[in-house]
Amino acid sequence: MLEHSVGNTVRKVLHHIREEYQTATRGTAIATSPKAQFSIAKFVLQGQPRKQVTSAPKSEIRGTLKENDPDDPDSFARGLKPVLMEAIQDVLDELETVYDNVSKNAKDHIHSDEIILTLGMSRTVEAFLKTAAHHRNYTVIVAETAPSYEGRKMAKSLSSAGISTFLVPDSSIFALMSRVNKVILGAHATLANGGMFAITGSQIAATAARAHSTPVVVCAGQFKLTPLWNLYHDYAALDFGNPDEVLGFEEGHLVDKADVVNPYYDYVRPELIDAYITNDGDHPPSSIYRLLKEAYDDEDTEL
Amino acid sequence: MASQAGGPKDKLVDDEEVLQAVVLADSFNKRFRPLTTRKPRCLLPICNAPLLDWTFESLALAGVQEVFVICRSHADLVKEAIKESKWSKPGSGMKIVPIMTSKETYSPGDAMRDIYTRGLVSSDFILVMGDLVSNIRIDEVVRVHKERRKTNKDAIMTMVVKESGAEHRTRARGDSSIFVIDSETSECLHYESVTGFPATKSAKIPREIFAEHPEVEIRNDLIDCSIDVCSVEVPSLFQDNFDYGDIRRDFVHGVLTSDLLMKSIHLYVAQEGYAARVQDTRSYDSISKDILSRWTFPLVPDDNHPSGHNYELRRGNRYIAKDGSVVLARTCKIGANTLIGPSSTISENAQVTSSVIGQNCIIGAGTIIDNAYIFDNTIIGSNCKIQRSIVGSGCSIKENTQITKGSLIGDGVTIGPDVALSPFERLSAKRPSLKHTPTTDDSEDEDSDLEGIERDQESIKGSIDLGKDSNALVWPNGPPDEEDDPDDVENYRNQRFMRLGDDVSDILSSDAGSETSEEGTDSSHVETDSQYDGRSVSALSDASAPSDIHTFSDNAEREFRVEVKQSLDRAFAEGHSVDNAAVELKTLRMASNVSLTRVREAVIAAIVERIPLVDSGAVQQRKEIASVIGRWGPLIDKIGGVDAVETVCLLQAHCATSSRMPLFGQILAALYQDDIVDEDDIRKWHSLPASKGEGRKPSPEADSLKKCWVIGSHMIKQFDEQESEDDNSEEEGVAPTSRNIRKEGERDNDSSDDEQMLRSRIVSQQHTSSQSGEEDDDDDVSSPPPTDPLSSSSSENSGEDQSGAAKDSTEGSSDDGSEGSV
Repeated sequence: MLEHSVGNTVRKVLHHIREEYQTATRGTAIATSPKAQFSIAKFVLQGQPRKQVTSAPKSEIRGTLKENDPDDPDSFARGLKPVLMEAIQDVLDELETVYDNVSKNAKDHIHSDEIILTLGMSRTVEAFLKTAAHHRNYTVIVAETAPSYEGRKMAKSLSSAGISTFLVPDSSIFALMSRVNKVILGAHATLANGGMFAITGSQIAATAARAHSTPVVVCAGQFKLTPLWNLYHDYAALDFGNPDEVLGFEEGHLVDKADVVNPYYDYVRPELIDAYITNDGDHPPSSIYRLLKEAYDDEDTEL
Repeated sequence: MASQAGGPKDKLVDDEEVLQAVVLADSFNKRFRPLTTRKPRCLLPICNAPLLDWTFESLALAGVQEVFVICRSHADLVKEAIKESKWSKPGSGMKIVPIMTSKETYSPGDAMRDIYTRGLVSSDFILVMGDLVSNIRIDEVVRVHKERRKTNKDAIMTMVVKESGAEHRTRARGDSSIFVIDSETSECLHYESVTGFPATKSAKIPREIFAEHPEVEIRNDLIDCSIDVCSVEVPSLFQDNFDYGDIRRDFVHGVLTSDLLMKSIHLYVAQEGYAARVQDTRSYDSISKDILSRWTFPLVPDDNHPSGHNYELRRGNRYIAKDGSVVLARTCKIGANTLIGPSSTISENAQVTSSVIGQNCIIGAGTIIDNAYIFDNTIIGSNCKIQRSIVGSGCSIKENTQITKGSLIGDGVTIGPDVALSPFERLSAKRPSLKHTPTTDDSEDEDSDLEGIERDQESIKGSIDLGKDSNALVWPNGPPDEEDDPDDVENYRNQRFMRLGDDVSDILSSDAGSETSEEGTDSSHVETDSQYDGRSVSALSDASAPSDIHTFSDNAEREFRVEVKQSLDRAFAEGHSVDNAAVELKTLRMASNVSLTRVREAVIAAIVERIPLVDSGAVQQRKEIASVIGRWGPLIDKIGGVDAVETVCLLQAHCATSSRMPLFGQILAALYQDDIVDEDDIRKWHSLPASKGEGRKPSPEADSLKKCWVIGSHMIKQFDEQESEDDNSEEEGVAPTSRNIRKEGERDNDSSDDEQMLRSRIVSQQHTSSQSGEEDDDDDVSSPPPTDPLSSSSSENSGEDQSGAAKDSTEGSSDDGSEGSV
């Protein structure tokens, strides 16, 4: 299984390089293109709407650079290099501050005396909940999240931060759902259709929440935005691991009779998710495609 | 501070040490024939990658830097395969050196000796077989091993075992093991191999183990992965002991039972990870299934496939080659746990379930493939049915052919059309040219088998129809006429436990039958055994019927007895000292690898037989006995380990079957007199239910056992009386008495309270049981006058229980009477 976040960061860097390159070479040409041309009808063809917005001011500053200058062949590279480094530094900065930025609006999402359900050990969610605890007094229910039992780690971390925390087995998620005000999940990857890959158990938690009309909120940094669809997995699971974690190898007589499936991630459909909280603001699943368009170049979708 | 400074430095030295591994790329058996007639087992594909590649993958995971591959059969093929594998490419991080050994390497032991003579290994190394599939972190085992070696230089080996439960599909039923482990240090204290046939139903664990280790685990639920982390001494130990063949049955057993070596072997019970050996066709099946159901994760077909194929995982563990070269007909059915190799074609209405299909295979329309393994380039016609079988590469199975469970089809075989094979059929292709000279062929001995089969083809084949175009040779099926060694692991019936698709129900059910017939006697038999050999452990859940202690089904043991007899005869004749004779016996015992009990039994038998029978009266007879026991009795305790209770039991057992039966009482008395047994031992023996012959079918033997026991009763009684009125006994004129008093005194000083309680309980039991025994014996008593002082003394002494004593005396004398008649 490809680590999606790595690919996403590569795409992002490529996107920045392209952007700077285009600004440097054809800056004037783009700047002259009239803004009136941007219309809904031509949206798909035009691709990155954001590029046009950002490129205009930059072109004014660095429009002078020319490629293949006969006098000084290195001048172009020399000129572009600091700009690219700056762009990459931006990406790094974004990654470093992602947790803070995701959680900066935490107090607007969590209200006093609410009961929040989460599962797994997502660092984004952890930071989000801890930040919210500075302003609000609320309760978290953490599901154990078998077979990795990451939820136990999460519960420990939250309770040590002074949040009132309950650790419950996965089987009681549905039973407790009627009392839960909000489900907050982490994501492994956010997909182009607004769905996501998340730790095993997210799918049932989200489905249970839907049954009780409990809002499902996903905390995820922008680096998790992946321009891929879940087309290759015909059921809601992927990254199948060792069945050992589910059924011990020492259960000799069962091993022969049972087929054990141990997926590490669930695929959660966009219909089950109400909102994504990212470091770039809050979005409904239906606008994820637009974030993707802004963040990456089309030609990088297939790396 | 000093230790802190030294720490990283030590580590640095360790890191610089190259981690070496030795792969034995030969199976040293023929379980996969005829699939292995043209290539070695380690090159057979499992899930479309050669076994050797899986092994290398496992070793690479452990960070092994240098691998020696010991090849014997088809060495050139192995060499070629290594050259072409990805590991030989620069940057693989692992250096693989194929080592060709001679054709005379017949066992892993020979290979180890070869490793020693070539001086291949320089430090601790990993020893694995070339058919290993594992994802265990062996480097962790190496670390533990090295850590242990720092404090204990005698820990020469760490064996990796995997917890699995007794009935795991991957656990070999024909060839597994029982380990006795010290829970604290995970030292392996005892090893016992388990075979399916003859069914191993009990394990004999030396008593010393329980004495020396407060907590032991006896485990029959471990898969022996044959991953051993060995120190450099191991090959040299093989060199020193030229008769070590198998690493487990000979080496491990030898090291653990040796009184001289003082080396220890440890176990590493892997909690996480998977490891198993493809040691037979049954495990081939189960390991394939384990790989397909991802137990070997991360070594799974869709990720890290050792041959570098790319597979796509679909729902239900179906793996289809990813390059788009697989043609699946719209109407074909692919069941769960299936792997289909690149460029293969599955035609309309074909069904493939729980099977592995190699590369470039064509499965015809309407064909059903169920739990079968089809190697590369095989073409299967339409409407065939293949179940639980392995079909080699390049085969051609024509239409309407039925291959039923357990069949092995060698490479390049053509069969059909319209034939049905019987279960467990084994076929191989005729060699294209019969003219080649076997003498120049370097795989000479491999071919001799094949030639034999070619020669006998007409008789073997009989009426089996293989289709008109067939080029197949039929391999003989069924038990061979004469078995080389019925106790060998490779015997025919045990091999059936290792055979793909064989549920061995007939062997198991016949066992169950014999068990029920013995059911009534089971419990007492178990006790008999435990009394002789330490402890008896029920090894298989379905049975606990230990064999009769007095019959030796074992060839080796019979041989050993003859050897002991000869050696003792020599000692008797040439008048060796007891010490010398004991040394000779110890050596013999180690050479033939038998338990101490057997040695003791043989020694007692020899000594008893040594006593000449004298017709001229009891006094003369007693003198003879005293002289023999006086001269040779100490030998019984010198052979290693003192166990007087067992001595008495064995004496009884021997006397019961020998013509020297009437001498039992006197011999016992003589042993007593010479301090070889003491009163407590006799009491203990006497209280054992087995010594009374309980649970035995009525037979002359049982009668004799009972008679011996009754004699014992007299002695006990005598002891009791001596104890109660110790000054009276002086006048009896019985030799043991004076010594007895002294001994009583000694014992009183050091015996604890509960010991005395135990003794008194035993005594009371004896009273009741001896009376019941008397009633049985009453009928056949003829009473000549008592001549044995032993019995007469008891009659004189019986103060409290007159009538019982009277009866005792008559019985005792009946024994003497029979002595007179001899």
